[in-house]
Amino acid sequence: MKGEYLGELEELILLTVGILYKQAYGVAVMDEVERQTGRSLNISAVHAVLTRLEDKGLVSSKLGDPTNERGGRRKRIFLLTATGKRAIEEANALRNQLFNQIPKVALQFSI
Amino acid sequence: MHHPTPPKWADRFLCWYCRTDLLEEIQGDAYELYERQCKSKGKFRADLAFGWNVLRFFRWSNLKRRTSPYRPAMMYKNYFQVFKRNLLRQKAYAALNIFGLAIGLACFVLISLYIRDEMSFDRMHTKSDRIFRMHEILESEGVGERSASLPFPVAEALQVDFPDQVEQYVRFFNFQSPALAMSTIDHEKEFYESRAFFTDSTFFDVFDFNLITGSKATALDHTNSVIITQSMAKKYFGDTNPMGKYLVFQGEHNLLVTGVLEDVPQSTHFQFDFLISFSTLTHYYGTSWPGWYWNPCWTYLLLRNPSDAPVLEAKMPAFIRKYFPEEIINDVTLTLFPLADIHLQSNHDYEIQPNGSMSTLYIFGCVAFFVVLIAGINFINLSTARAIKRAKEVGMRKTLGSYKGQLITQFLFESVAVCALAAVVAVGIVIAALPFFNTFAEKDIPFSTLLDPFFVAVLILLPLVVGIFAGLYPAFVLSSFQPITALKSASSGEKGLMFRKVLVVVQFSLSIILLVGTGISMDQLMMLQKNDTGFQQENVIMIQTLRTPVAQTFEAIKAEFKSNKNVLEVTAVEDVLGAKHQVGNYSFDVMEKTRPIPRLNVRHDFLKTFDIPLVAGRDYSEEIYTDDSLALLVNEQLVKQMGWTNETAIGKSFNGRLNKQIVGVVKDFNFASRHQPIKPLVIDLNLNPRAFNLFIKYMAVRVSPDDMNSTISFLESKWEEQYPGWPFEYFFLDSSLESLYKAESKLSKITIIFSALSILVACLGLFGLSTHTVEQRKKEMSIRKVLGSSDAEIFLLFTKRFFVLILIAIVIAFPLAYVLMKQWLSTFAYQVDIDFVIFVLVGFAALGIAFATIAFQAWKATRTNPATVLKND
Repeated sequence: MKGEYLGELEELILLTVGILYKQAYGVAVMDEVERQTGRSLNISAVHAVLTRLEDKGLVSSKLGDPTNERGGRRKRIFLLTATGKRAIEEANALRNQLFNQIPKVALQFSI
Repeated sequence: MHHPTPPKWADRFLCWYCRTDLLEEIQGDAYELYERQCKSKGKFRADLAFGWNVLRFFRWSNLKRRTSPYRPAMMYKNYFQVFKRNLLRQKAYAALNIFGLAIGLACFVLISLYIRDEMSFDRMHTKSDRIFRMHEILESEGVGERSASLPFPVAEALQVDFPDQVEQYVRFFNFQSPALAMSTIDHEKEFYESRAFFTDSTFFDVFDFNLITGSKATALDHTNSVIITQSMAKKYFGDTNPMGKYLVFQGEHNLLVTGVLEDVPQSTHFQFDFLISFSTLTHYYGTSWPGWYWNPCWTYLLLRNPSDAPVLEAKMPAFIRKYFPEEIINDVTLTLFPLADIHLQSNHDYEIQPNGSMSTLYIFGCVAFFVVLIAGINFINLSTARAIKRAKEVGMRKTLGSYKGQLITQFLFESVAVCALAAVVAVGIVIAALPFFNTFAEKDIPFSTLLDPFFVAVLILLPLVVGIFAGLYPAFVLSSFQPITALKSASSGEKGLMFRKVLVVVQFSLSIILLVGTGISMDQLMMLQKNDTGFQQENVIMIQTLRTPVAQTFEAIKAEFKSNKNVLEVTAVEDVLGAKHQVGNYSFDVMEKTRPIPRLNVRHDFLKTFDIPLVAGRDYSEEIYTDDSLALLVNEQLVKQMGWTNETAIGKSFNGRLNKQIVGVVKDFNFASRHQPIKPLVIDLNLNPRAFNLFIKYMAVRVSPDDMNSTISFLESKWEEQYPGWPFEYFFLDSSLESLYKAESKLSKITIIFSALSILVACLGLFGLSTHTVEQRKKEMSIRKVLGSSDAEIFLLFTKRFFVLILIAIVIAFPLAYVLMKQWLSTFAYQVDIDFVIFVLVGFAALGIAFATIAFQAWKATRTNPATVLKND
């Protein structure tokens, strides 16, 4: 179902929103993703994902205070919600659980 | 601090499409990136990147929505409720609106039914696209005949000579007799039958008529066989099985019934009740069958391929030279006519039955279109006028958050719904009127035709189109009202007034054109039927004599008849005078070759009986025995064509023999219908008794108008004395001639009805509009009255504006009607002078009717008490 499944980019951006705590808005998320992973995203893609995450209830948003930058436009600051936090945890747990089930021997590579 | 600004166009584009709740953050982010890139990469690159970002933001989730998410279904429920209430609150308007449109639609459907029926003639045969009738045009210098029938041997010769094209043929023959006698063996039942034909045994190979009993393959194979229709079986044999029984033909010849046919449908260009096997004719012709000159056989060819028709036609000149008699080969043309086109397009001499005509259908089509247009305009006019009343509702709805789109939907919905109701009523009207229409238009259209996809489409699409048109104006004008003005003042009054005025003018112009057209076509019909054909039609009794024993005893019965003092004159004549004639080949004076000329074979006293004046020479005389072969009467037209004068024509020789001479010239008279001008004519005395077998079809008896009934019973008793077993069949010449103009009379009957209906519909509209105006201007009138206007002034104020519209309509319609009718009349040989009295009458009628419609409302306006109107303000 669309509402439950967390896509790869969505997970990445959800994590980034968590990292940037209280500083997460469009451009900042884009920059942080690029800094951390080297992936350069278009700002519109970031917006689309953020909107989708908000629709799914994984993040919440509020408008920040106006500044002189950005032509006086306010930023929309995104914050993790409890559901968002659980989603990250579940994704993490699932990953670890799967990773741990890989037999040791399959991970032993002799060079 | 100076900030570089991003390109204006991109910024504006973003503002235009972006949802307002998303705009701030998106624009902010875009600006931030822009500022950053300006510093790092320069203004140009930053501009490009900004533009690119704006484009990338252009996605569905970011776009402005025109309407907020609402539930249309729920709104429709509300629309329906409001619609219902509106309808019930204004019952009179609703009824006017629905009824007017319904009449228009019903007229349209009825006329379409008629047209569709006319177009469907002869298409029920599976091979109808391959069936052609061959026509013989025998004309020299435009005089002669254009015959729908051919000589006997043509069909067979065609099949033998052109087997690659001609698959099969079938001929019909009836001695060219208007009726043939048929009776049961015991002579219990005796009738003259006009729908009896001799036909080839190949009949069922070509046509697909339904044989109920008997074998299609063999029913007509043997001599003396006859196939009869169901209704004839009932008429002659009652409920007993007719198969194997005998019918007596012409009182002397027994025919065995070998098949019973389903009654022939209305939608064929000719009907028949009896089909007698062609080989039966050997009884009459023995071994010497008629040759290549006399052309009484309607001949239908089944071609192998529809495209063979031109191929075959191209071979006809050689065919004619090979077979036809020497003296006419240069005058004959043979043409093929597709079966399905015969009913509407073939208008030849000797058609089996009178056909319909395409131009009548065009006229009906126009009338149908006019009526539906008038009704549609009505509807549009009334709805737009009434729409103003809804201004407050619009204001309220807008205040409560309606979108413009919703209002448009609502008004369109309402007007389409009214139209749908009208369509339902129209179907009701059509179903109720169809039986009357059928009798009246002489049709047999079943109700089931309405289920035909065409009519289903008409009944759905037409209301839809009218509904949308009628709804468009209120929908767009009203929905654009500012709520505040709409709520504040009720009388945003006269919006769209000009538009409505134009529509009223169009409507009345159309009605007036229809009225004038009807008037002139009635005039034309009356002129055609008027008794100035140049011969006596009244009190002439025509008695059928073809192939009766009258041949041997004509003089005797004539003397018997004349013994009664009320019998004035007795003669015999080839065809119904004024309706039909035959054609003979004659040459005059020094002409080397004969040419076909209209001809009537007659007996003595022909001119006296029909009161046709001589302009030169003498009548045939019983004292001069050689008149039979050596004398000829001609008409003035022939004299004129030959370049003689009436006096010099006397004594001119004919048919290449000096002793054969023209002895008299008669004044021109209409020996054929007045659709054509008078052509040359020869009146040929034929005393040979055998002429009654072929040429002379009627006795004509002129009686005095006194005591007509006893004269007729006298004639009948004398006839039965002389010819026991032969039915005495007669008709009056004048009533028979009326049927010549049946097509015109049907046309004018139908147009009268529909133009009356169109006027009715237009008046319904006018009534509605005037009611509306009175209501709208109630306050104004009251104030005028308070300030001293007289009743008359107020009355005038109302009627004036409508009068002006009708006057404009008259000015537009008259020239148009004149031109149209001139064109229609030009198709007639005899045209009535367009009588301007008709225009005057129609003009006054239009004004009068309109006045009557408005007057009541205007009068009501003058009667209202200003106090009651104004006290509420």
